[in-house]
Amino acid sequence: MRKGITAIVIIVCIVAGFAAGWLFSAFLPGLTQVSLVDQIKARGYIIVGTSSDWPPFEVFNTTTQELEGFDIDISELVAAELGVTVQWSDMDFDSLIGACTGGTIDMVAAAIMVTPERAEVLAHSVPYIRVNELIIVRGDSILTITKLEDLAALPAKSVGCQSGTTQEDELIDAGVDYASYVSALLMLADLDAGGIDVAFIDEPVLGQYMAYGFKSIFSVPAEPTALWCKWEEPELMAAINKALLEAYKDGTIDALIAKWF
Amino acid sequence: MVETPDLPSIFFYILVNGLPLTLLLTALGLLGGFFLGLSLAIMRVYGGKDLDLVSSGYGKVLRGIPLLVLIYIFVFGIPGIFWFIDPLMRPLFGVILALALRSGAYQSQLFRGAILSVDPGQMMAARAMGMSQFQAFRHIVLPQALRLAIPSWSNEYAVVIKDSSYAYAVGIIEMLKVAFRVSANYPLLWAPTMGVVAILYFIFTYPITRIFGERQTKKLKKLGMGGG
Repeated sequence: MRKGITAIVIIVCIVAGFAAGWLFSAFLPGLTQVSLVDQIKARGYIIVGTSSDWPPFEVFNTTTQELEGFDIDISELVAAELGVTVQWSDMDFDSLIGACTGGTIDMVAAAIMVTPERAEVLAHSVPYIRVNELIIVRGDSILTITKLEDLAALPAKSVGCQSGTTQEDELIDAGVDYASYVSALLMLADLDAGGIDVAFIDEPVLGQYMAYGFKSIFSVPAEPTALWCKWEEPELMAAINKALLEAYKDGTIDALIAKWF
Repeated sequence: MVETPDLPSIFFYILVNGLPLTLLLTALGLLGGFFLGLSLAIMRVYGGKDLDLVSSGYGKVLRGIPLLVLIYIFVFGIPGIFWFIDPLMRPLFGVILALALRSGAYQSQLFRGAILSVDPGQMMAARAMGMSQFQAFRHIVLPQALRLAIPSWSNEYAVVIKDSSYAYAVGIIEMLKVAFRVSANYPLLWAPTMGVVAILYFIFTYPITRIFGERQTKKLKKLGMGGG
């Protein structure tokens, strides 16, 4: 009995230790008082989170050994506005929003579309592009649909989407029993292998995976795409918006769209 | 890399770009786990009832948490614990801390077993010779225990090097992440690339466990130590 009580006390102490560590870090001077823009300028770089399996928005080119894509160039514009360089943090798409709210990264540039749920936790910039979302199938498929709800009639788990994307939300709303993947790469490999029969994906991304020979059977206009940062950092958001709006004005964004799409 | 890479070039690409961080994570995770695990094992064996409970409680808690959850806690949950480190390096240290804390829980078990498998008569003999308990532990028991722990420790290496692949989820460019990057460039090579990375992990796991595990077990048996 005494042993059981001691074990509970130990567990409580460990949990309390984690809590104390969190409080300690949350109230550390210097972390919360200096605005993020000043911190970024002081260290000379902005940490931008992305997920490099989403060409042409972002992909790591193994020939040039560099990240490249539309979002990458857009982020460079923001960094130029702040007068700093970009340091990339290339992680899972799912992790990006948590990483930004936790402060591991300063800004997210990963073709993230604006939804009310995301806007509750992070602030978004002015949108910089709007794409279509496609329902795609293997080249030899005879499936046709006229609305998203038709997918609900398919067998369970035969529709795939990337987890944490707006496509996932739309499939939930349509009542589809879907399979979710941490990356587009895995989903398309599985679609090709026959694990799923249908995938739901951004139109520009499909272009880069043309080699598979998938065909599109339905398209939905997507929400606009934006850059994201913390709500508590309006100065950073102002700088991001200024960079984007100036790029609209002088035609840089149009040139980039022509370059990547 | 060439336009349509063959498997050897993918192999060397992942080796050159991904292996350094994988080995760094493994080495530092094991090293941290070694000191933590050894201290916990000493606490369990010599620490009396209270320290024993602290140590076994730690082991029970840490062995009950998935590594990915620990990594998320230290990288995204409380990134402020590394406030003194350059923000870019914080995820790396978060992962190393998670690996070390988890590995420490497992290593405490294997060191405890190794310490206990040294004949208690040796400790008594050393005490009878006039050594203090610390001296006897430091000079008589610990050297033998460490040697006895080598086979099971090589197994811990095999666990940690594979667990280090979880680091890809928080933006650390280790072997698995490099493999994902390669297959994002060449979608049709997705399956072969995963095969290549599997072979790479195997190459850096099996020979080590073989040399340190099986050979050492045989050697120890010859010396009449331990049961393997």
